[in-house]
Order: sequence, then structure tokens, then C-alpha cells
Amino acid sequence: MFFAGSCLAMGSGLWLPMVQARPGIPSDDGAQVYQQKCASCHGELGQGVAGVYDPAIFGERSIPELARLIERTMPEGEPEACVGDEAAAVARYIHREFYSPAARIRQGLDQPLKVELSRLTVPQYRNAVADLIAYFTPPPEEVRKAPGGRRRQRDRENPATDPTPTDELGLRGEYFASAGMSKANQLINSRVDQRLEFDFGNSVPFEGLPQDQFAIVWEGSLTARDTGEYHLRVTTPNGARVYVNLDPSSGLHKLRDDSAAAGQFPLIDAWVGSGTEREESARIFLLGGRRYPFRIEFFKYQEPTASLRVEWKPPHGVWAVLEGEHLTTANSSRTFVVETGFPADDRSLGFERGASVSPDWYSAITNGAVAAAEEVVNRLPLLSGVQPLSKEQAEDPAAQAARVQQLQDFVVRVATVAFRRPLTAEEVELLRTKPFADPTQSEAAVRQAIVWILCSPSFIYSDLSPTTAPDSNAVANRLALTLWDSVPDSILVAAAQTGDLTSTANVEQQAWRMLQDSRTRHKLQGFFRHWLMIEQRDLTKDTTLFPGFDEAIIADWRRSLELFIDHVVWSESSDYRQLLTSEEVWLNARLRTHWGITSDPNTETDSRFVAISPDANRRAGVLTHPYMLSALAYHNNTSPIHRGVFLSRNVIGRALRSPPVAIAFENDEFPADLTMRQKVSHLTQDASCLSCHTIINPLGFALENFDAVGRWRETEGGHLIDSRSDYETENGDVVPVSSPRDVAELALQSPAAQRVFVAQLFQHMTKQVPAAYGPEVLAQLVDSFQADQYHIQRLMVRIAVLAATHSGEVQIQEPEANQ
Amino acid sequence: MTLVHQRRQFLRDLGLSAAALPFLASLPSLSFGRTSKAERRQRLIVFFSPNGTLPDEFWPKAYGDELPLQFSQMLSVLQPFADRSLVLKGVHNQIMGDGDNHMRGMSCLLTATELSPGNIQGGGETPAGWASGPSIDQQIRSFWQSREETKTRFGSLEFGVAVPNRADPWTRMCYAGANRPVAPVDDPKLMFNKLYGGAQQRQLVGSVLDLVRDDLRRAERLISQEDRRLLDEHLQSVRQLELDIAAAHAQSELVHPEPEIDPTIELVNDNAPLISRMQIDLLVNALANDMARVASLQYMRSVGEARMRWLGVEEGHHSLSHEPDNNEAAYEKLKRINSWFAGELAYLAGRLAATPEPDGNGSMLDHTQIVWVNELGKGNSHTLSDIPFLLIGGGAGFKTNRALDLGGVPHNRLWLALAQAMGDKELQTFGSARYCESGPLTLS
Repeated sequence: MFFAGSCLAMGSGLWLPMVQARPGIPSDDGAQVYQQKCASCHGELGQGVAGVYDPAIFGERSIPELARLIERTMPEGEPEACVGDEAAAVARYIHREFYSPAARIRQGLDQPLKVELSRLTVPQYRNAVADLIAYFTPPPEEVRKAPGGRRRQRDRENPATDPTPTDELGLRGEYFASAGMSKANQLINSRVDQRLEFDFGNSVPFEGLPQDQFAIVWEGSLTARDTGEYHLRVTTPNGARVYVNLDPSSGLHKLRDDSAAAGQFPLIDAWVGSGTEREESARIFLLGGRRYPFRIEFFKYQEPTASLRVEWKPPHGVWAVLEGEHLTTANSSRTFVVETGFPADDRSLGFERGASVSPDWYSAITNGAVAAAEEVVNRLPLLSGVQPLSKEQAEDPAAQAARVQQLQDFVVRVATVAFRRPLTAEEVELLRTKPFADPTQSEAAVRQAIVWILCSPSFIYSDLSPTTAPDSNAVANRLALTLWDSVPDSILVAAAQTGDLTSTANVEQQAWRMLQDSRTRHKLQGFFRHWLMIEQRDLTKDTTLFPGFDEAIIADWRRSLELFIDHVVWSESSDYRQLLTSEEVWLNARLRTHWGITSDPNTETDSRFVAISPDANRRAGVLTHPYMLSALAYHNNTSPIHRGVFLSRNVIGRALRSPPVAIAFENDEFPADLTMRQKVSHLTQDASCLSCHTIINPLGFALENFDAVGRWRETEGGHLIDSRSDYETENGDVVPVSSPRDVAELALQSPAAQRVFVAQLFQHMTKQVPAAYGPEVLAQLVDSFQADQYHIQRLMVRIAVLAATHSGEVQIQEPEANQ
Repeated sequence: MTLVHQRRQFLRDLGLSAAALPFLASLPSLSFGRTSKAERRQRLIVFFSPNGTLPDEFWPKAYGDELPLQFSQMLSVLQPFADRSLVLKGVHNQIMGDGDNHMRGMSCLLTATELSPGNIQGGGETPAGWASGPSIDQQIRSFWQSREETKTRFGSLEFGVAVPNRADPWTRMCYAGANRPVAPVDDPKLMFNKLYGGAQQRQLVGSVLDLVRDDLRRAERLISQEDRRLLDEHLQSVRQLELDIAAAHAQSELVHPEPEIDPTIELVNDNAPLISRMQIDLLVNALANDMARVASLQYMRSVGEARMRWLGVEEGHHSLSHEPDNNEAAYEKLKRINSWFAGELAYLAGRLAATPEPDGNGSMLDHTQIVWVNELGKGNSHTLSDIPFLLIGGGAGFKTNRALDLGGVPHNRLWLALAQAMGDKELQTFGSARYCESGPLTLS
């Protein structure tokens, strides 16, 4: 939590007894009131008084929040003794003198935090290596159209039938008549195919194709949403090959029995039949938020029937026919993916950051560097533009020397992009000389240089000068890391070189541009998984109680939640409040059937989701999304505690201590006729539990009308559900709460709720705590978030700009003049 | 660069000189301490060349037990190994069914079983798919891998020379089982990585660690005192990696020769002679290190059109093999081609003969059975009869220094004899059972 260390004082809301306030003192001076009514328990500077009230008081509350709290609760046992202007004056006084983070630094109670030196996190490393190589990869259009060696030749009868350049969902299919060994003998027709499941029977897909022999080539891109293992599977009685993340720059022109796509290795090779339907599968590790070149070759030859099914199982998904949104006719370039396993990043502060270096991690870094160097050397002509020497040239020392020089230039350019800054003269000299000792071994030199670059601290550390004012290159670097977890693209590099990043307005403009990139969306999904506490949850349920709640349904709900979030965040209003209050739930055909709602085959398939508003007025955004409700539940029942803890910590923004005693919930130990609410109330009745469970339980109980798989229910085991409780806010107000919408309303009224959201987003983006950029930064961001109508995209831009332009100097505001 | 020069370059890149290689490979310590095992070590190498042979040039003039083996002029390069050779005439690939003769010749050669029905159209006949059973090398591999005494790291290694990048019944002779072809690795670099990749990577990483340490020191000057901790951890990790590399190097120094630099040979037709020698060197080295006891070396493929310009032959091999016997120019070129294959085989046999067996008992050749195979008996007739089987070495314990004309027996029986000689005494049939009725050939 961002207010770690302060939770005793501000989190629990427990302020212990104060001495009686003396009446009759004027109440317009906060200092005076504090001396009279507060200091005897809390000490002169809020440091506490031994034996009376030990904990120091400090925290993140704003002055109005503090005033409200004092008015409702202080002095202990006699809250009416300090209200109105007097409470406000005390609040202003303590906030300024010792309560706020800035005050504590001014008083020397806290050291100001600084941005810490960090290495790249594992996702940052993977993305940075991929994008470093991508930086030197020509775009697919250029590869296909450029003259000379990079041209992609294709056997085309009629170039006019080339697919249109407009991108669509699906793949471009080209249908060929075959002639014996020559599979792509004559192009008969082409179309975009949206779903990779075909059963042509003993017939043909197009008039004009011979019934006994034809071939189809599909091309386009595969979209990977998540990072992880993707399984692919082909089922056919005919012949097929599947290529994923191929290099479209290599020749793919031939489609004959006796020749393969030169230089390309299919992920799945099911070319040779065996008289029966076959199923072949393979797996590939992909980075999320990216598109990969995708190609399928298929042919029928004299078999009685023709059919093909291409399925995949993405991370968190189930086997499904590839279709629609996962496929695009757009071309893309090969992306190099480091598959090496890494030890997990440090999460001791609640978010992943590059705060530690271990031999295991370093060993993984070097493995990744070796693999990346292999990729660069294998594709050297394409990436460097430097062609291999002919036999004659190889004998000519001058030609050899010229080539070495070109390759030296290339590795210097690679290092410049990898280090996100111009190299020093010393670095250039070292790179040009150390690896290139033997002019006959230039490929080996490039290999060594790439390994060196990728093992160098200038690549591995996010920012080697985190506490100095950034130049344009550093701004570009920080923007790319904050928004993409990666290195700057060519546009950013160009902007840095022309000095465009010296004005905040230009930095902001770049941030808005970068926000539209799918890598930003991918990164933001990671934040939501963290904020919603849905990482590594087991959602499997007792299927006798919840029939049909299988892996496919779970995967669909996950997708539904992601779609809902994307829909809110990337809409024009990008409104955080929508996340908590929207009545929409996104359903596909399978989820509709699962919920017993008739589906419309025209609008919904298993891959196409449509929003509906079920259970009128009862749903409240992510709080009631079935994935959330199922994740925060037992396998056979709801769990008000899991739900309540999530709502307290991440939605309402209240700090909770760890339980003083670990008590396992054993459903079987309770009489069967008790409701879940009764069981939980019984379990948490001890005073030691109640200090937190008075917060947790009312919030959890408010969701009891939704069962363990997120369906609406009126009763539980014959008892009417009682979801109503009185909830005491942080400020001491008591509010009746009986539904998820009430909880959402609490969050919308609570600055603490917005603080936790802003702080977690900040940490996810920058891998640093907000206070590292200044004690007031969080409060200022929350203020602007409110002023921006809770616009999430604007908040992201503000965070990115703040981190990118941070001078390293922590600004401590002078206290406002006392009024 | 001349071929000889390039070959030296390759060996230097491996960190080996030509002279050191057999020496290193023959050190007893290279064999993972298996030398104490009482059982006699046996190995199998299948050596494949395509498109049939020239029968009149291949088959010896005389047959029988008592006559010393005299190779014809085309195979004269093998004469030094005649006393350890066994030539088998009259052994036919009788497998029928789908597929043309090249397909069945290739994919039924080592499997001795029918092809699955499929979708690959050959030159005439019906289309076909993969072989429907395992090949003899993989059969023996499985048997050896199932026993602790004969188990090795890889079991088998499949080498190729100029095999095209595609998988079909013309390019695959080894099968792990029905419809499960095993791809030969025709890139020495890939094979080298497979065998010694760890050591090579350590070498590469080790070569940059000093540079990285200097980078870290430079970086240290830029950052604040508090942030030094991370760089200190980093330096310690670098140091740890260095120690690990040194330890791994010390451990493997004698076992696996370490490469110096990565070879960058291009996989093009004209480099085939160079690649062939690299592959043979790697193969012998791997067997000497007991990484595997079964290996195959596949030159090109059935219907291969290699243009052997290094022999002064401009035409493709397969096209030449179709020429009638009376085309003297073609005949002479095919003779040169088959002589070249024999020369590569002689190089392989010579390398094995020059390497002492780790247990000190004779040479590696005495414990290795090389079997030279071809998918056809004769190129222009596409016959699967009289496949030119030539066996060299003492691995199977067959009686050598002779040529036998068996008069027309299914080749299943040869593979059955080989499997039994390699220790799998329980095996009663191999491939299509109907060709095994008379049991294994008697060759001892």
C-alpha cells in the first residue's frame, strides 16, 4: 500500500481517548485548539504520547477529510466538543504542521523519497528486446514492394486480384486450382475468410476449382492479447501447414509438393496425409498486445473430402476455432520474442519493479541476449541492410573492410536505440574495435556486439540518471517505459533528436499519440488485473451446484470483463465512475446460453460479445461482473470476506491490517441452515477481528445477492438474502449499505478510493511510488483526476508526462498561509 | 577460400584442429565413465546416398565365403576397409502399396513396411503418405534407450547433407513410428548447437563479461550512493556467472571440445563437400563422446537433383540417373558421383578406424556397424531389387571380407538380423511381418 507505515493511525480509524477539552476557548485558531484538545494524547507534533496514545498521526487525507473525521470522532468520547470551524481549523493546522507527507518532510520526520535506480522488469525486458529488433525491421509493405533482394515474389496469374489494402477481421484467402505437384497452379478466386473452419465435403469452395485437387493460402496476422503460451491445432484429412510469426521478407512463392517455403519453418507441418483425418498441434510463446504474421497453406489431392479446422488455445483461454477479432488481413512484421524463463520481479511493495538483481536473473538476461544475437545474425541482411559478400568480394580485402565498416555502423545504431541515447565517443570506439578484431569473422563480431549491448547496464537499467533533469532522449526513454514498457519508437527518437521533447506540450502530445498503441492497452490490462485482484485466481466451481460453469465459461467471463474495461477506458469519456456503476455486461453466444438468454445468431458468436443490461438496476460495473464475483468466492459458496477485502482495499481505499489470527473458513463446521452472512458474522465476532471486519463485512454482505458464479439471487437455502448493514466511513459517518450500487456510491464519494486507484495506476506505469516524485504528487494527481471528470486516459497522460519530465528534485511546497 | 582452408577454419571455430579431434575424442575420460561396463559397446550408422547405383560398377565380380573381397574401380577408395566389409546382393525392398518407387524406396527402405494412404503425388502410381512403422535405426535406438547399460543422452542423431527444407516421403527415411518421420539436421551449426550449444553459449557470454564489468563501473560514476546497492548486486551476479562458466568449462573441457567462434557456412549446393566433412566430424565426435550410439547420415534425398559441380558435373543427379545405360557421358558422371559418395563413406570409416575404442579394445570401427543404403537398385529402372547394401565395421559382428549373393530375399530379414545382432534377441519380425517368415538372414 502506498501509505505503508501509516495504517495504524489512519487506516483503522481508531483514535484513542483524549482528555476532556476545556470549554470557553475561541475556536478559530487551529494551533490553539490543538494544544487544548488534542496535544495531551497526540503530542506536540502528532508523535503520540507514551502510554496514552502511542501511534503517530500522519497520512494522506485531505484537509476536508480530516475536518470531517475530527468533527465525527474527536475528541474521543466527546466528538461534539470539536466541530465546525474549530474542527476545520485543527485539520488545517495538523495537515500543515505534521500530518501530510510534505509536512513530515519539512519537520524532518521523513526523508524525502527519490526515484530509485531500477532495472527493466521482465515484461519491459521482453518488450524492449522485441522492439529493438523491430526498430531495424523494414515494414512488411516495404519488404513486399521494395526492389531487389527484399522483394517478395509471388506466383500470380493476375496481379489485379491482389486483396484490397483495407484491413478487415479475418484472413485473406487465395483459392488455387492445382495441377499435380504444382499446388498454386492457377489463382481462381480470393476472399476474406473470418472463421478458420471449413468443410468443403466432396465439393469445391468456388466454381472453377477442380473437384479433385485445389489449394488455398491464407495470409494476414494473428493478434495476441496476452503474453504467454499459445497452442495451435490443425485438424484435416488433407494437407496443411501453419506458420506463425514467420519472416514475410523471405521467399514464400512456391507451393509445390516438391518444394517448401524457402527459409521458413512451419509451426505445424501437416502437409503429408495418411488417409485419415489428422490432428497436429504445437505451441509458441508470444508477447501480448501485438500482431504476428500468420499464414496457412492447405491443399486437397484426390482425397474424397476436403476440410480444415485451425484452433487455438490462448493463455487463460480454451480451445476454440480461430476467428474474427483474433485475425486480421493486415500485414505485420516478425517480432522476436525472448522465450527464456525469468525469476519473478520484486513485488514487495505490491507492484512489480526492477529493484533486485540476482545471479538467476542475470543468467536469464544473458540467455536472452544470446538468443537475440542469433536472431540478428540470422536476419542480418534484412536488419542491417548489409549484404553478404560474393565469393569474389570475399577474397578482396577492400570489400571485406568496407563490409566490416558497415556492420560496425549497424551495431553502433543498435546500441543507440538500445541505450536510448547517443553513445559516448568512448563507447563508439569500444563497439567498433573490441568485437571486430578479426575481419573474416564479421558475423561472429556482430553476435558478440549484440550480446554485449543487451547485457550492458545502459540497456538493462530503465534510467541510469533517474534523479537528474532529463534531456530529450531521457524524456523519450521514460515515456516509452511508462506507456509501453519498451524502448522509444522511431517517431519518439526523431522527436528527441530534433529537440521536440523540451516543451511539456510536445511531451503531452507524444503521450496522447502513444496511448493509442496496442502496447499501452496491453499494459493497462495488466494494471486492471492487479487492481481487481484477479491474477492467479482459481474459478473452478462445484459443478453439481453450478452446472455448466466450465473452463469455457470462465474464459468467456474473463474476456467479457476485459471487454467491458476496454470499452469504458477507451471510450471518449474514459470515465472511472463508469467502471463502478455501469449496468452493462458483455455476453457472447455461449454466455447467453449459459444464462438462459436467447441469443441472436446475427450479432453474437463465441468470439463476438455484445453488451446487455441484465438484472435491471442491480449491476454495478466491475463490482458485479460475474468474473469478479466468481473469483472472489469459494468453489461452492460466496465469500463476503474475499469480496469485502477487495472492496475495502482497492475500491474504497481503506488500509487493512493482516488478520491477527489466521482463521480458515470451514463451511462444514456450521449448521447447514445458516446463511453465509450468519456464518461470517459468527466467525469474525471477536473484538480483534472486528476492528477490520466492521469495514469488510458490510461491504461483502452488500454483494450477497450475487451467488458464487455471479448470478442474481433472492434467497439462500430458503432464507431471504439480507444484504443490509450500517457502514462506518473513514470519516466516522455511518451510512446504510445494502447493494453493490451503494458500495459504488461510497467509492465515488471517497477521495481515498480515488487515491488508491491513482496510486496503483501510477505504480503500474512508472514502477516507482508516487512519493518518489514529491510528497504532494499523489494529492495533485487525485485533484486533477476529479477535475478531469475522472478521465482515465487523461490521468495516464498526466502520469506519463510527470514521470518523463521529472527533474529529480523533490519539490516541497511551503505551507499555505494560515487564514 | 579453398575447401581445405574452409574446413580448417571450421575446425578452428570449433576450437579443434584436425589433428586434435581424433585424439580428444579418443580420451577415455570422454565417455562419461561408461568404460567400466562389461558389455561390449555397439553402434550403428546408416549412410544414405540417393537415386540408385550403377550395378555393373557396384557389385563385385566374385561372391562367396572364402574369397577375399575385391571392390570394383568405382569403389576402390573403400579397398582399405575390404577386410571389414560385407557386400549383400540379392536383397530386395519388396514392400508394395501406395506411392511411387522413389517414395517407397525412401520411406520403406529403413521401415520395411507399407506407406499410409495419403495425398502426396509421385511420378505415377497412387498418392501416398508417411511410412506406417518405425525405421530400423529408430527400432534399435528405442531398444538401447530402454536399457540403462546402453542408454545415451540423445539415443540417436540424424545428420543430413543438402536435404531440402521440406518434409515428405522423399526426404524422410527415419521414422520414430507410424506417420512420425524424424527430420535430419543438415546444418552443421544447428547440429553443433544441439551437441555443444551450452558450451558455445558460455563461451560467447564469457567473452563479453569483462566489457560488461567496465560498463558497470562507468555506470557507477553516474548514480547516487543509495543506488549503488543494485549495481553491487549486479556486479556480484556477473562474477557468479563468470565462476559458473569457468566451472562448466573445467568440467567439460575434455568431454566436449569448446568452439572458439561460430561457423557461418552457407547451406548451398556448392558447399556440400565441406558440409559433408563437417557432419562426419561432428558425427564421429558425438559417438566418441557416447552422446548417441545410433546415427544416420542422409545425403540429399530421393529424387535429389544435387548439382555436383565440384566433380565437374553440371546436371542434376536425379536427371542423370534416368539416362539409359548406353549414354556414356551420363554413365561416367554417375560413376564419379557414386565414387564421391564412396569417398565420403571411406572418410567416415577412416575416422572411426583411426579412433581407439574408449575401452582400449581396438578401434571405434570395430564396434560400429556402418550400413550404406540407397532407395533404388538402379536409377533408370527405378527397381527396388538388388538394393546396394554395403556394410562396414564390426558393430554387428557379421562375418566380413566377403560378398554374398542371397538371390532375392526381402530386406526385412536383413533388418531383423541387424536388430538381433545389436542385442534385441526377442524381436521376431520387423516391418511388414509377412516378409519375415524365414527369419533373420544368417550373416555371422
